Amino acid sequence: MQNLFLLAAEAAPGEAVTSHNPIIPELGELVYSLIAFAVLIILFKKFGFNAVQKAMADRTKRIRTDLDQAESAKGEAEGILSDYKKQLADAKAESNRIIDEARQQAEKVKADVLESANKEVADLKAKATQDIETARTAALASLQTSVASIAIELAEKVVEKNLDRDTNKRLIDSFIAKVGS
Amino acid sequence: MADDRTAAYAAALFEVAQGEQDLARVEDELFTVANRVRTNDALRDALTDQSLPVDLRQGIVEDLLGGRASPTTTNLVSMIVGAGRAKDLPAIIEGFLERSAGSRSETLAEVTSAVPLDADQQQRLAEALSKRVGHKVSLKVTVDPSIRGGLIAQVGDTVIDGSVRSRLEQLKTQLQESR
Repeated sequence: MQNLFLLAAEAAPGEAVTSHNPIIPELGELVYSLIAFAVLIILFKKFGFNAVQKAMADRTKRIRTDLDQAESAKGEAEGILSDYKKQLADAKAESNRIIDEARQQAEKVKADVLESANKEVADLKAKATQDIETARTAALASLQTSVASIAIELAEKVVEKNLDRDTNKRLIDSFIAKVGS
Repeated sequence: MADDRTAAYAAALFEVAQGEQDLARVEDELFTVANRVRTNDALRDALTDQSLPVDLRQGIVEDLLGGRASPTTTNLVSMIVGAGRAKDLPAIIEGFLERSAGSRSETLAEVTSAVPLDADQQQRLAEALSKRVGHKVSLKVTVDPSIRGGLIAQVGDTVIDGSVRSRLEQLKTQLQESR
């Protein structure tokens, strides 16, 4: 652009200025250029367009295939992801189930141990109560026997002291009277 | 078998004794011997000891009864001991007494008293027991101070216990059972 201005400035002092635009080519040149362009277009259409079109179609097809593959891979990946998620959920559910089972089992064991301990305590208590009752009964019986023995000893002594010949005779007479009545 | 043998010895004793003039004396003496053998462990052990010679055991009988009891009583006891039946002597004598009483249409009544009974008491007791059982009884009295007082009478399977000992035992049982 700067060169164009310089050329315009150089031409200005010597010759008359014509209304010629340096940018716009001459008519002949333009015609030749148009003919050359048309020939180029024709040649391109005849020899290069199909190849370009085919290349474009191939490229489009390849891109579509790639897209399809990508879509398929994405779907597959999503399927795998879904499977993984499902497996993860299943594993989580299974682990929760196992934990629940373990918890229930632990609760059951705890309840069993508690029940067993309670039963053992109850049995021990019952046995202790029974032992105490047995000991009490035995002590009472022993005391009763001792009291009875003492009472009998005293009674025997009283009988020995008072059972003289006359008393014995009265006992014998009383016996004979009762037998004969 | 033992009962049959005992009954056979009792019958043999009765056959021998019934020929005696004083059968009642023989009965009383045999009854006394039976009580001694029943209550005296040392005497019973000596008479039933099979390791002692028969002569020695019969000698014990002679020493105990000779001069005190009638010759018939001594001979009968000696015969039973010599036959090795001293263990069954009380049962044999009891069988003899029952058989002897039966021959007089009487029932044997064994009476235990803490003190000896006089003739009047024995007569009244025999009458009372006869009235009780419905026929005449033959009274045999044993003196046993351990019954302390009163009487025990046994006629057949019937026992009438009016002893002080049994009353004390009843009292003891009642005291032990009462709570």
